[in-house]
This record gives sequence, C-alpha cells and structure tokens, in this order.
Amino acid sequence: MRFERLHSLLALVLLGGFSSLRAQEAVEVKPSLDELKLVAQQAAIPHLGGGNPFILRESTWSGEVEPGKARLIQVQLFKRNDYHFWVAVPDRKAAVNLNLYNGKGELLEAKTLRYETPNLASLIATPSETGIYYLRLSLQSTVEETQPWTVIYAYR
Amino acid sequence: MVMNRSVLLTLAAVAFVIPVRAQEAPGRIDLNDPNLVIVEASVIPIPLEIFSSLDKLGTQDWSKQVDEREIRLDANRSRTAMLFGLVVSDGFIAVQAQDKEAVRRVGREVLRLASSLGVASSVEQHANAIVNGAGQGDWPVVRKELDKTRQTVLNKMSELRDDELVALVSLGGWLGGTQALAAVLKQNYSVEGSDLLNQPDLVKQLKTDFNTLPARAKRGKVFGQITQTLEHLESLMRADASGAISQGKVIEISLSTKNLVDAIYEI
Repeated sequence: MRFERLHSLLALVLLGGFSSLRAQEAVEVKPSLDELKLVAQQAAIPHLGGGNPFILRESTWSGEVEPGKARLIQVQLFKRNDYHFWVAVPDRKAAVNLNLYNGKGELLEAKTLRYETPNLASLIATPSETGIYYLRLSLQSTVEETQPWTVIYAYR
Repeated sequence: MVMNRSVLLTLAAVAFVIPVRAQEAPGRIDLNDPNLVIVEASVIPIPLEIFSSLDKLGTQDWSKQVDEREIRLDANRSRTAMLFGLVVSDGFIAVQAQDKEAVRRVGREVLRLASSLGVASSVEQHANAIVNGAGQGDWPVVRKELDKTRQTVLNKMSELRDDELVALVSLGGWLGGTQALAAVLKQNYSVEGSDLLNQPDLVKQLKTDFNTLPARAKRGKVFGQITQTLEHLESLMRADASGAISQGKVIEISLSTKNLVDAIYEI
C-alpha cells in the first residue's frame, strides 16, 4: 500500500506534463514528509554518481509554506565545498524557488536547476567564505493551498 | 495508477534539468526583519563535510586523530547521548583515515550505546552495515550508514519525545568533529584551512540549544563545563578581518575541545 502511494506521488512529480494522470487523481495524493524526502532524493540521484559526485546527507528540513510566502533556512557552509540543495512540494502546479543569501542578507550567485515540473527545484552553490548562509525557499502564487515542503542537501 | 518501481527510478534518473537565473528573489533581505520566517530546525554539519574542504588544501594525516577510548557507561542518559554523538564522529574520522578496525569498533560501540538509549532495534541494521562495509573497505557505504545511524537515532529520539537527547547527540557529534579538525590544524596550520573553524553562529546555536534544555537533562559535573566551553569557543571560533583564525586560537580551540571530550568520557 505504501509503495502504491509512493508510486503515485513519484509519478505525479516526475512525469509532470507528459503524464497521463488525471488532475483529480493528483489531488487525492497526500504525501507524508518521508515521501516528499524520497521525491527530492530521486531528483538527487543523477548527481550522486560519476567522477565528482555529491554526497547526500540524511538530514532534512521540512515545514509548510503558504503561496506567495517564503521560509529561510540557516545553514553553516564551508569554503571550497560545493553544495547542492533540493526542495520538493507535492502539488505539481506549485512553483517553488530556492535562493541563497550570505550572512549579510545579500543574494549570492548560484546555479538554479529546474525539473520537469515546477514543484521540484534545486540549487548549486560554492561559498566563497566559511560561515552562516540563508537558504530562501519561496512558493509562487500558482496554487492556493499551503504546501508541505522538504529540503535535502549534498556536498562535495 | 500503479507503476513499475524501476520505471519510475529510470524516469527520475533521466529527468532533465534546465539552468535558469534566480527568479523573483530579492537582491537583499533584512535579516532583522521580524516578518521573516526562519526555520527553527538546525542541521549540524557532519565532520566529513568539513574534512572534505580541508583535504582540498592537501592530504591531511587523519590517522593520528583515530582514538581508541574505553567507554564506561553509567545511568546518566544525557551523558550517553553525548557519547553516542562523539562515537559517531569517531566513525567519520576513522572513515577519513580509512582505518577498518577503528570503524568496526565504532560500529560495535554505536550499537552498545544505542541499546543503552533504548533505540538499538532502529540502529542495528545500520551498525551491521558499518561493520560489514568496513570489512570490505567500502568507505562510501560506511559513510552513508554512519550518517543514517546518526539520523535514525535523532528521529527515534524525537518520536520518543526525548528532544533534549537529540540536542545532546548533535552537540557530541559536533564536538568530536571540531576536536579532530582543530587537532589537525594545530599540527599542520594554514591560514586557508583555519577558516573552517569560523563557526560562531553555529556555536551560538548549540549553546542556546544546550542552555534551554531542562535541568534534568544537565545533571552531572560535566554539564557545568559545557556552557563555559561553548562560551569560550564562541569567542575563539570567529575569523578575523582577513578571514583567518590565528594559530594561537586554533591551539586554544584544540585544547578546549579536548578537555571537554575527556571530561565526557570520564565517569
């Protein structure tokens, strides 16, 4: 039963636009935070192999965010490492963004990655200094409902 | 609606990625804005994350940081939680040093400590994977299982409403990693490497988490030493204008963290 639920959710997120799923099937899925974490981890998999792989941490952040609102996550990052953050929310019409700010609140240059559906996003950054940074997660007003979210990260 | 799991995994692997510029993000945020919603949960970096950065400056001798200590348990669960964090950090250090025997020992100790904390069943498979992975020299697996062990214990503690123990496991893990980092930097000081100890906000967070624990979670002489050490470290672990932490401060950080670790191991 859990697998079926997970399959539904993964299909929803990963197949996105070319899925044959009907919208009403989509809204029936109420993922748990564990399942959202799995969705984010699926998106991370291609970055965890190859010549210079990221190493995925088991820790996560999670919560809820209202449309048009943002959340800030404080993170300690270390110079010379690359960091990759992924965020996932369940509704495939929900568009979520990730941005990184330094300890002074200044937006940093980072590579933002988009996936097949806008409810998954990720960001790669290489901090120029060791210290505290703020990861800003924001939900656009493309949906009306508050979304649960999960953020995972990897380093290399 | 039911799909083959392997199909889904394949689709995940080929999901394409489009680089785009930052969207709808303000160029600057006022971190003092009371309307900002900052997520309360803090994720403490694992030692390997920090060691990975230091190793980019040149190979370090991590084997000297592998320490075989006798762990004597008492009835104080708070102390056991800190020891658990310390032992997991020992595991990360042993992975960095690629010391099979030390990792095997950590795997066994992790299970013993988890038993004492009442969470052995959740940890057993990870502990076994650590021991087996070490035997095969499969360091990526060992690294992953150590992180899983740590996270599993934290999750289990939260489920059991043992939140004070969560904070202490995290603190122990951070302390063990910081002690090893400072010791390596003390032996092989470099201005560039010293910036890894620039963690004043993280220390402040750990100190706040510790200070807000209920008194029942801080019984025992070592717990009086923790606040004092964290306060001291908060002032030491702050880079100067050039972004470095002086050699003198690194030595002091090394000494201070070692003294606290020794005190936790002592009964």
